[in-house]
Amino acid sequence: MDIDDILREVDPTFHAVPQEKRNLQELTRAWIAERSAPELLPWPADGLFERVNDSIKRQIEKVEEMTGDMDPKTNFALIVIQTELERFKYLVRSYLRARISKIDRHTLHYLSTDALRSRLSEMELAYATRHQALLHNHYLSSFLSSFPSALQNLNDSAGINMVETPDLESAVFIRLLKDTLVEGRGVDSDGAMDGRESDIVILRWADAKSLVENGSAELV
Amino acid sequence: MALPLPLGLTHSEVAFLAEMELVTVVPRQRLESIDLLSGKTPPLRPPHRTDLPLWLALLLKKQRRANIVPPPWMHPASLADIVHRETKVHPQAFSEPMPTASRARQSEPGYAGRIGGSGDNNSGEVILSPPFQSNCTSAAPAGYLPYHWLEVAEALVTHASDDLGGNTSEIRGLLRDLVEVRAAKMRDSAETLGAEGQGGVVSLRGVGAMELAENRGFVLGVVDGVRKIGGAVETARREREEEMDLGGGEGGRGGYGGDGDSDDDMGI
Repeated sequence: MDIDDILREVDPTFHAVPQEKRNLQELTRAWIAERSAPELLPWPADGLFERVNDSIKRQIEKVEEMTGDMDPKTNFALIVIQTELERFKYLVRSYLRARISKIDRHTLHYLSTDALRSRLSEMELAYATRHQALLHNHYLSSFLSSFPSALQNLNDSAGINMVETPDLESAVFIRLLKDTLVEGRGVDSDGAMDGRESDIVILRWADAKSLVENGSAELV
Repeated sequence: MALPLPLGLTHSEVAFLAEMELVTVVPRQRLESIDLLSGKTPPLRPPHRTDLPLWLALLLKKQRRANIVPPPWMHPASLADIVHRETKVHPQAFSEPMPTASRARQSEPGYAGRIGGSGDNNSGEVILSPPFQSNCTSAAPAGYLPYHWLEVAEALVTHASDDLGGNTSEIRGLLRDLVEVRAAKMRDSAETLGAEGQGGVVSLRGVGAMELAENRGFVLGVVDGVRKIGGAVETARREREEEMDLGGGEGGRGGYGGDGDSDDDMGI
């Protein structure tokens, strides 16, 4: 234990946000970001979803135990627990569906480089790879095999690139979490503005990305 | 389709988020602490006030187990003050969002929120943002609108009108005024969206979640449309600037165009 740990222990703000609330905040933020960003965002590396999934699983087990108990007092608690459980499940489900729909739309793009592949979780990578393989086999057996072999590629990048990519220049709304300089590119001029905390700013995703990644801003 | 919804949160998703806002309730029955995924709820002991998420408060309200204390900003005087500011004092801009810094919370004595916005809190500390900032509890300041103001106010007016002190129709009228004033501002902002000299950054400080959801398609459509129409102009301008940069030495400005590419290569 070094001095930082000791300081942290006596710092009232460190324990101010309990782990459960942090999980919910992070899950909500990840969900909003994934629903708003034009491209697939990296899978959270800190095990957020593993944590959330585990707690959901434990909560479901608790509900199963409690349903045997018909006491009216615990009955109401059970309703509350189940309502909250559904809300959590909705968040997780909507998050995963938003990601899958992005993967579906630009499968080849997200499989093209290692950097992009690393954004997918293990399951998503397996899904994308198998989905693409099935699709390719299907195309091959239905029409692609009658083409000359030089034209059979689905990811030909000579001339116009066949691999569709998400439009990283499309505009997004972000909320600034800290006072920070916001730089953007416009049609007539490039600009910058001294952003204040809780500003809501419209700018291109390509310009907003670095702010969101370093935690100075979040998508809304 | 895995998710047949457009990018960006829809109305119902925003309403779902707003239900996570904490509100203050006065319980009418005892209720033991419940172990929820978002943490244990505080045990309810009438008549002690407690902060609960809106969805739970509404559930308790429907079962007549609790009364909801409307947040101070929903008081008619506070709303009238905001309408006055939105129409007379700052007829162009939205009123200031709720302050986040150094606001003491009753439920967590000794914890005064985050001080300042630029503090060095990269050490893994999560920055809370709406709907987790306790902007709708009885401890929130009056005279400001929180991010989820319309959704929370609407929920309270609809489901807890008897807790509003008999001012429901007055509050409803003021809310309607606010909605109209602010919707007009949102429409006007479209003029600045594609205007020259904006530099691609437009601030809508103080806007609400529902107002964003309402206008998301329109606003982002305008911005993207202007970008696509001006695409050729922009490319030409960038090339010209690049040439000037190269001419003026080592190209010290680095070019914004490169930023997007290098982000992609970071491999995150």
